[in-house]
Amino acid sequence: MTTPQSRSRVWRKLLLHRPALISLFVILAYVIAGAAVLCGWITVEHTDAAYGAPQIPGFGLSPEPDERVEDVAWYLSKIRIPLSSLKPEEALRSFPIKDLAAANVPVEELRQRLADADQQLVELRQIPDINTSVASGGSDGKQAIDQLRTLEQKSRELFTLAPDVSPTYRWIHLSLGTDRLGRSILLRAVYSIRVAILVGLVTGLLSVAIGAVLGLVAGYFGGWVDVVITWLYSTFASIPNIVLLILMVYIFREGTIDEKINDLTGNLLKRLLGGVRLDETLVPVYVAFCSTFWIGPCRVIRGEALKLRELEYIQAARVLGYGRNRILFRHLLPNVSHLILINFSLLFIGAIKSEVILSFLGLGVQEGASWGLMISFAKDEVVNGFFWQIGVATVFMFGLVLAFNILSDGLQDILDPKHV
Amino acid sequence: MFFHLLTGVAGAVPWKYIVRRTLYCVPVYLGIVLLMMLALRVRDPVPAFMGKNATVEEIAQRRTEYGLDRPFFIQYGIFVGRILTMNFQQESWQQEGRTIGEILRGGLGPTLALTVPALFLTTIVSVSVALVSAWFRGRLPDRLLVISAVFGMSVSFLVYIIVGQYFLGFAIRGSTGAAPFAISGYESLQQTSFVEYATTKWPYYCLLPVMISVLVSMGYDTRFYRAVMVDESQRDYIVTARAKGASQPRIMFIHLLKNAMIPVITRVSISIPFLITGSFLLEMYFRIPGIGRALITAVFQADFPVVQAIAAVFAAVYLASNLLTDVLYAMVDPRVRLS
Repeated sequence: MTTPQSRSRVWRKLLLHRPALISLFVILAYVIAGAAVLCGWITVEHTDAAYGAPQIPGFGLSPEPDERVEDVAWYLSKIRIPLSSLKPEEALRSFPIKDLAAANVPVEELRQRLADADQQLVELRQIPDINTSVASGGSDGKQAIDQLRTLEQKSRELFTLAPDVSPTYRWIHLSLGTDRLGRSILLRAVYSIRVAILVGLVTGLLSVAIGAVLGLVAGYFGGWVDVVITWLYSTFASIPNIVLLILMVYIFREGTIDEKINDLTGNLLKRLLGGVRLDETLVPVYVAFCSTFWIGPCRVIRGEALKLRELEYIQAARVLGYGRNRILFRHLLPNVSHLILINFSLLFIGAIKSEVILSFLGLGVQEGASWGLMISFAKDEVVNGFFWQIGVATVFMFGLVLAFNILSDGLQDILDPKHV
Repeated sequence: MFFHLLTGVAGAVPWKYIVRRTLYCVPVYLGIVLLMMLALRVRDPVPAFMGKNATVEEIAQRRTEYGLDRPFFIQYGIFVGRILTMNFQQESWQQEGRTIGEILRGGLGPTLALTVPALFLTTIVSVSVALVSAWFRGRLPDRLLVISAVFGMSVSFLVYIIVGQYFLGFAIRGSTGAAPFAISGYESLQQTSFVEYATTKWPYYCLLPVMISVLVSMGYDTRFYRAVMVDESQRDYIVTARAKGASQPRIMFIHLLKNAMIPVITRVSISIPFLITGSFLLEMYFRIPGIGRALITAVFQADFPVVQAIAAVFAAVYLASNLLTDVLYAMVDPRVRLS
């Protein structure tokens, strides 16, 4: 594996393995999107702001007539609040809907238009069972839908697009619908890529690094080092995964651990994070995942190192008088690199999926959005038969996890064909 | 009987190996309890439970009451002693008047009602599907099964639960008026006879979570069993059987399945701790008062004695079932004993 020839052979095999190659490109696309979000393309404010009426379906589909009436009512109520404040001009400037601003007319006329629309809203709400009468296509239904359309037109005339937003952006923001707080599902799902990539990369890399070093050392040196490390991983492995996760996050809650670290290191943490508490960042999630995820790679790599240690080339290196570090990291490490790669991609999947469970328990990501937050937030929408948020989060997550599943299968085929 | 069957297949019970392996568990368990107790004390348990309004005296009083003011190693010794003597008499902080033992016993029934059928069904279904897949190896049914397993693995557990609960719990109720599955809740055996319970109450409360659990684990299990069977079907004895003129069903069910049982048994015994720890998510979501739910509620309420005891019991179960797996494996494959 170390010679340039064999390395190029692995690359050639990867290039010929079409599913693995495609999934590599998919992962790359996700990473680029995640990096773009990380650079400030989508911010936390974008994920928290209301963009439109709650639970609008995506793809510009229009909901049932009774829901359309309620959507109009939502828009009207949003403009009523600033209009009824003491200083309406000022209140209108900081508008509660992102992308939209109040129509550029005097306050008095806005009030007039609002009252007019309100009047019509009351009339529409009095129609009994508007959905069936519209669906039946009778004259009542036609009249009702015409009334609804004019009302929607009137409500639209109350707003204009905010000066820095183009109609295309507005359409994109609403393209996958809104959740039950009116937040844009697309923006939240894309923002979550950042969280997924961060959690996957950081925990994957860290736990593989810890596992590889400990496994190599244990396998190569044997003796008491091996006994200690085996004891350590048997111990960690005997605490059920989810219990350890919950305990770890529990420890970080409410900032007690921050004070301890600050006391011990002379306010190092405070200087590093600038007043942000640890449990507001992703650090507890990283620590929780790393403390359970290092076991798998450690066990596998220790087994492999035990086998490799007896091989001629390692013994030859020892006879040549090479130092321990050189043998460990120049001779052994490259020969377990396939295991490192495979384990990394398995852990990446594990991290993304466990994040969902932690978020459901309220222990995961605390601000912004993540697929886990979206899915657990969507459970009340599902009860109402609204599937856009859970669907979009699942599809986004499905793409990344599937790509990693296929990639790790491919890597296994290419690098470790003997594995069951 | 099971034991006889195994010794029949695998020869004598490796007592020496069992003793050695059991002795090895002792330092590991002591280590687990040590790590866990240390971790639980990073955030001071008493103020965490009593909140911001408690006075310093109240906190100090509770601390002495539960022996949390003593040196750590004395607390450690006492706790290990309690675990060894199975003494779970201490009272929970949150649910006053209930001992930890009562909480554990109360949670055991619902958890087992959920996990035992789930493990049983998952194993049977995935082994059968894997056999079908291995039978058609490389052809369309096999490919479809492999692809759907990978697809199924890429969707979050939580999505299965939410969607399953909606369609089989809410939507059926809404459209037909019949209610085959409870949306959430649980009823224990109480006065009803077992048969009556198993045919009426159990399916109502537990069948839906069990089905979801089977569906979720099937992806992983089927893939594993299929790999085992494909691997096994390339062995020489299969070629011999085929050359001898044995029919394909005979090869699959008599020759292959018997030899593929070893990894199946190992995998099932690895999942034994799951029987006790249960599926937290299912218990949380369907409001089934099992042990997993008891642990999570205790964590949220900062109910320190309960968290500590349940975590220690879980670790013990884990360790014991790992031991069982290793012993079974050593009986089936004598080469393991040497290492």
